[in-house]
Amino acid sequence: MLRKREQLKGHLDLLLLSVLAQRPAHGYEVIGMLRDRSDGEFDLPEGTVYPALHRLEELGLVDSRWSDDSGRRRRVYAINGAGIAALAERRAEWTGFATGVNAVLGWTS
Amino acid sequence: MTDHDPIDRYLHRLLAELRGRTGEPRRVVEEAEGHLRDAQAELVAGGVEPGEAAERAVRAFGDARLIARQFTDVRSATVVVKDLVGAAIVLSAVGLCAIALSGLLALGAGRAWGTTFVAGDAADVTYTTTRCADFAEYAPGATSCEAAAAAHHADEVVVYRTAMVVPGLALAVLAWRRRRRLGPDGFAALPEGFVPIVGATVFGLAGAGLGVLGLGALSTGASHGAGQWLSGAVVSLAVAAAFGWQVLDVLRLRVSWGALRPSGPAGLGR
Repeated sequence: MLRKREQLKGHLDLLLLSVLAQRPAHGYEVIGMLRDRSDGEFDLPEGTVYPALHRLEELGLVDSRWSDDSGRRRRVYAINGAGIAALAERRAEWTGFATGVNAVLGWTS
Repeated sequence: MTDHDPIDRYLHRLLAELRGRTGEPRRVVEEAEGHLRDAQAELVAGGVEPGEAAERAVRAFGDARLIARQFTDVRSATVVVKDLVGAAIVLSAVGLCAIALSGLLALGAGRAWGTTFVAGDAADVTYTTTRCADFAEYAPGATSCEAAAAAHHADEVVVYRTAMVVPGLALAVLAWRRRRRLGPDGFAALPEGFVPIVGATVFGLAGAGLGVLGLGALSTGASHGAGQWLSGAVVSLAVAAAFGWQVLDVLRLRVSWGALRPSGPAGLGR
């Protein structure tokens, strides 16, 4: 479990950008979307998503604002133009990397 | 808010761990509270008892120290530099306004005890005829060259010092705008109490130094020029005392988390 979490942390930015590319969401929704889309495979301590979201905001890849829509104040994050470009770039990197790894694993199996 | 609520207890712990790690600890705590209350509500809707639901929500969120440590990585050198610039703006604004205030105090001292007390030259200073004529032209009512020189110097002390109110207020406006934008966490990337501690130290040392110069001038018996130093010393020490009071506030906050509640985020303030 620990090894899986460490692997996940290395790709968390890519995953978060991908989730936010679907629609703007607050941290609790982001965690839920991550869990649902990975069929429960990605199960980090939920609080770890916030440092990552703040880091993405500091890097200028997402924007955030407070929302009171459902009666409770929540910080809603939305991917911006720079974030979409970064997502495309990282997705291409990941795809290339995963293709290479799969090719090697297929060769040895 | 109750101390028995696991979510409130967790948020207090998280806030304590976040201080000095991120520029916006209250924002993080507020986000965490929204998350935890959402998670608790979802569990309660699924049939879990509220207390147990809160415990589970907190466990799923992760250890407060672990989460806070990750915010340390988020905090960039830029945030620290920005906070240092903000602190410099506040301290400079206070310093310049204090200089202006000391100018007014020097003006009052001149009216009360004469311009020689404020800025009179030492007894062994001599003047050339030309210089003396210049002073006499500046202060035609003066009865001696020394008195004319003292009037000239005292006016310089008052005018130059009070003029500092212009840049002082300009910086104060900048500091006020920054505080309005960032709120009370505007210096959170710096050690707690950084501004008041630096302010109390700098103004305390300045006040002590100016006081020594003033008392030194008084000890000559003639008190020539003592007023310009003592006016600065009085204002500096008053500002140092004000900052010192803030330092005490910071220390009191450290020992009593309860004092944070009125200004804290929603959950902490309830």
